[in-house]
Amino acid sequence: MSSSNIDRRDFLRVLGISGAAATLAGCGNTSIESGAELVESYVQPEDFVVPGVGVYYASTCTQCGSGCGIMGRVREGRILKLEGNPQSLISGGKICGLGQAGVQVHYNPDRLTTPMIREAGAFKPVSWDKAMATLTARLGSSSTLSGDQIAVLTGEISGHQKVLLGHFLESFKSANHIVYDALSPAIGQAANKAVLGVEQPVLQIDKARLILSFGNDFLGTGPSPVHMAAQYARFRKAPRGTLIQIEPRMTLTGANADRWYAIKPGTEGVFALGIAHSLLQHQEYAHAVPAEIAEALKQYDKDTVSEVTGIHADAISHIAGMLWEKSPSLVLSGPSAEGHVHGFNNAAAILLLNLVLENRGKTLQGQASHPFPQLTPASGSTTALAKLNQAMSAGQCQALLVMGANPVFTAPTFVPFASNLAKVPFKVAFATQLDETAHQCDLVLPLLSPMEDFGTHVAGYQPSGVELAIQQPLMERLYPETRGLGDILLDLLKQRQPEAYKAFPDYYAYIKTAVTKAKPVFKSKSSDDDFWEDALRNGVLRLEAPPAALEAHAATVKVGKPQALETDVNFPFFFVPSVRADLRDGRHANLPWLQESPDPLTTVVWDSWVEIHPTTAAQMQIREGDILEVQSATGSVRAKAYLFPGIQPDTVSMPLGQGHTGYGRYADGMGVNPFKIFDPMYDERTGELALYATRVIIKKTGEHARVVKDEGATNLQQGRKLVATMAADQAELAKEISRVTQ
Amino acid sequence: MSLSNLIKNWSSLRVKRPYEDQYKDKDYKWAMVIDLDACTGCNACTTACYAENNLPVVGREAFSKGQAMHWLRIERYWGEGEHMDKFPDHGAQFLPMMCQQCESAPCEVVCPVGATHHTPDGLNSQVYNRCIGSRYCSANCPYKVRYFNWWQYPERAWPNPLEQQLNPDVTVRSKGVMEKCTFCVQRLTEAKNRARTEGRRVADGEVTTACAQACPTSAITFGNLADDKSQVARIWERQQIKLASDKQEKDENLRGYRIFEELRTYPSVVYLERVRDSEA
Repeated sequence: MSSSNIDRRDFLRVLGISGAAATLAGCGNTSIESGAELVESYVQPEDFVVPGVGVYYASTCTQCGSGCGIMGRVREGRILKLEGNPQSLISGGKICGLGQAGVQVHYNPDRLTTPMIREAGAFKPVSWDKAMATLTARLGSSSTLSGDQIAVLTGEISGHQKVLLGHFLESFKSANHIVYDALSPAIGQAANKAVLGVEQPVLQIDKARLILSFGNDFLGTGPSPVHMAAQYARFRKAPRGTLIQIEPRMTLTGANADRWYAIKPGTEGVFALGIAHSLLQHQEYAHAVPAEIAEALKQYDKDTVSEVTGIHADAISHIAGMLWEKSPSLVLSGPSAEGHVHGFNNAAAILLLNLVLENRGKTLQGQASHPFPQLTPASGSTTALAKLNQAMSAGQCQALLVMGANPVFTAPTFVPFASNLAKVPFKVAFATQLDETAHQCDLVLPLLSPMEDFGTHVAGYQPSGVELAIQQPLMERLYPETRGLGDILLDLLKQRQPEAYKAFPDYYAYIKTAVTKAKPVFKSKSSDDDFWEDALRNGVLRLEAPPAALEAHAATVKVGKPQALETDVNFPFFFVPSVRADLRDGRHANLPWLQESPDPLTTVVWDSWVEIHPTTAAQMQIREGDILEVQSATGSVRAKAYLFPGIQPDTVSMPLGQGHTGYGRYADGMGVNPFKIFDPMYDERTGELALYATRVIIKKTGEHARVVKDEGATNLQQGRKLVATMAADQAELAKEISRVTQ
Repeated sequence: MSLSNLIKNWSSLRVKRPYEDQYKDKDYKWAMVIDLDACTGCNACTTACYAENNLPVVGREAFSKGQAMHWLRIERYWGEGEHMDKFPDHGAQFLPMMCQQCESAPCEVVCPVGATHHTPDGLNSQVYNRCIGSRYCSANCPYKVRYFNWWQYPERAWPNPLEQQLNPDVTVRSKGVMEKCTFCVQRLTEAKNRARTEGRRVADGEVTTACAQACPTSAITFGNLADDKSQVARIWERQQIKLASDKQEKDENLRGYRIFEELRTYPSVVYLERVRDSEA
């Protein structure tokens, strides 16, 4: 599983043990050697710094919420490169491109280097003393704010930073920690909870012989892509599992499918129930669902389902046959199935298949119970933002602290976050770099980069047991006028509750105490200091724990009449946004490696584009590079056409993440922001924004520009044996030598 | 390498290398295997390559002119035929493409100054300070994996403090020179030196390339072909691929192949065929 057998003893060294005191030895009897005089070297090497030799320190990646263990290569005091940490079960010693680019957050030329304060409409750099004075004047011991008057808006956050934030809010008698995730999986989580009893089950991809995925991009943008990729590698070894992907627009996972089907967006639930209907013809599955569901499923005959979904009728019985043959299977629902008005029902219908096929306990498990529930991440949603937006609009919110979220960029047009933000009298951004939201705040505090700070992280997706991931600095801070979020929060708490926090001189002392207090849970017999140093050296504290059982609530799945999609003559196309594994919701668009890393499916760089199926493009006489206006009822954006075969012909797709206007030199001016054309459509069960339910019309503008992409003149191999493909029944994978299976 | 020298040595360049058991008594012959059934096209390897080898980010305009400097790129194909008017029913076809470290490299013979040549451990090396920028090598490379510095990237690609990320083990190349994948020669050199100091050969798995180290599905295997117990040598043997052959005689159900082998470049990279369940 690990990348190599590189000697770990050479790789992993402890940070922070006291260095050997500079000793001088030699021959002769000078006053120096006899100790009468002390000569100190002008150059005092730091611990483990050997010029020319790179040393690896363990830490944790914070680029997404997966909590991958990483190792940073440090040489001459500089962090140079990140690798996966083999001690971490989540990363398994591997790392993705997004994780690699973590060093560019740290070295970004557009990083904030001093606090800034808004004066007469413009930002002015100020000292930390001044900035903290401004902050404590409002939020210190004399603050009169309480309850709903104060709110903290963050992205996904876990560990002790989350705990301190909670304590900080508690000191105001407030619980307004709003976790906003523009690409929230909340609809799918709600369906998991209703059908399986847990929000996020553990997927055992490697144990499945057949995976049927409805738009679940577990290799690209799922909850733990690096871990899933390692499982996928084992899934593909003998006996080789089969992957069938059904989605309106091909994701990275779809690109790796044995069989890929284009489906009309939003009809995934109908297709899943069609398969359920077909499966129930088999005697062994007949009793898997309650009688009324079995009865209702009779409406889902293959011709009806085929007409609604646009997939050939034979595919339904074929897939059902394969599911019957290749057990255990795993049926997954993904964002493109869930982001609809009936998204919850879609996801529940898809999950029902797992109950029919009895995949519980085989390829689907419950996560082990967590010994530190207060450290687990708060799941983000879009409803949380809507609620905050209302409170701001009503003038309730007097002080807002923002970190790790950029709603001015990602909030849809009908959630006028930017204008309501102006109604908040005191807005503070904590950031390593200015973004669109920070630009509108009154005070901006520059944070340490993730390469400079301590922290603890708990991933929301724990593949096995529980990992408490430790983040430690991989180098000294680049800018003296930057501070860690934990330290700032601790300072504020010390002002408000001096007695409770006086024991902790800084955040380092706080988490060291907190982590060593957890020692009994990890059944360690070492001393506190040894336990802490081991934790730093390994980068992760692991606790083995058995998986929990999943429940089965088939009766909660609502099986209505198979509904055909309504057509909208004004907006004839379905609009399917695509989420890039590197840029995500746009928070990583400031990293040059990721901007220049071609999108895997289209190979386009540094831009936005509109994907359209070649046959549709031919009918509309659209060529690659024609600038199209994509207009919804809410708004419109313009981008170049890209002819893409992996898309349903009545659908157009655009990638999210580009179109920044205040996020530094690498992000600004690159492409457009499709968040701004989403229609106000909501999942009727959860109230979450339905990201895949927008309809658009395509207009040719008559303009044309060259698409900047990596692919050459042809997409086709034209007889050259570049990528050869072998049929699965021909390849003798069991006889091959592979590190993955060893 | 002058023209007369080139003509004089033509036969040795084109025929004598590689020959059977060329590396039999040598300590090292670096080689690679890429499993296309495991590769998901995720670009982790390409980003790792940027980080390890000081590859400049060229920006949109230069990229549009084909001046990207990605030593390792993921090519994406949709299949055979003339048009792509149907759905790609079996997904995309991803191909990680980098210098194949050919044993009989077409780039080496055309270099007028000997800036690209073959090392004793089987790498196709590029000597930056010998390169005069004729770009003949790039024109002659059938894999199109050589990248030319059209601009003085050190002046523009790493605005302060991005330059602090640069790997001190790797040169930053200036305008007018050709560059390409080196199999992370700086890592190999370090490992070889360490092993030599300790009086041994580099052990299997002791050193790997940045791409192989990052790859989340472990699709890339790197190692020493001269060590017949190494993973890479065992895979080559099991796949019945012979380094010095331009047409492999192998069993039908084996997935190993080398790209453009028929051009007699004798590449050091074996690809394992992508697999698809044709029943699905």
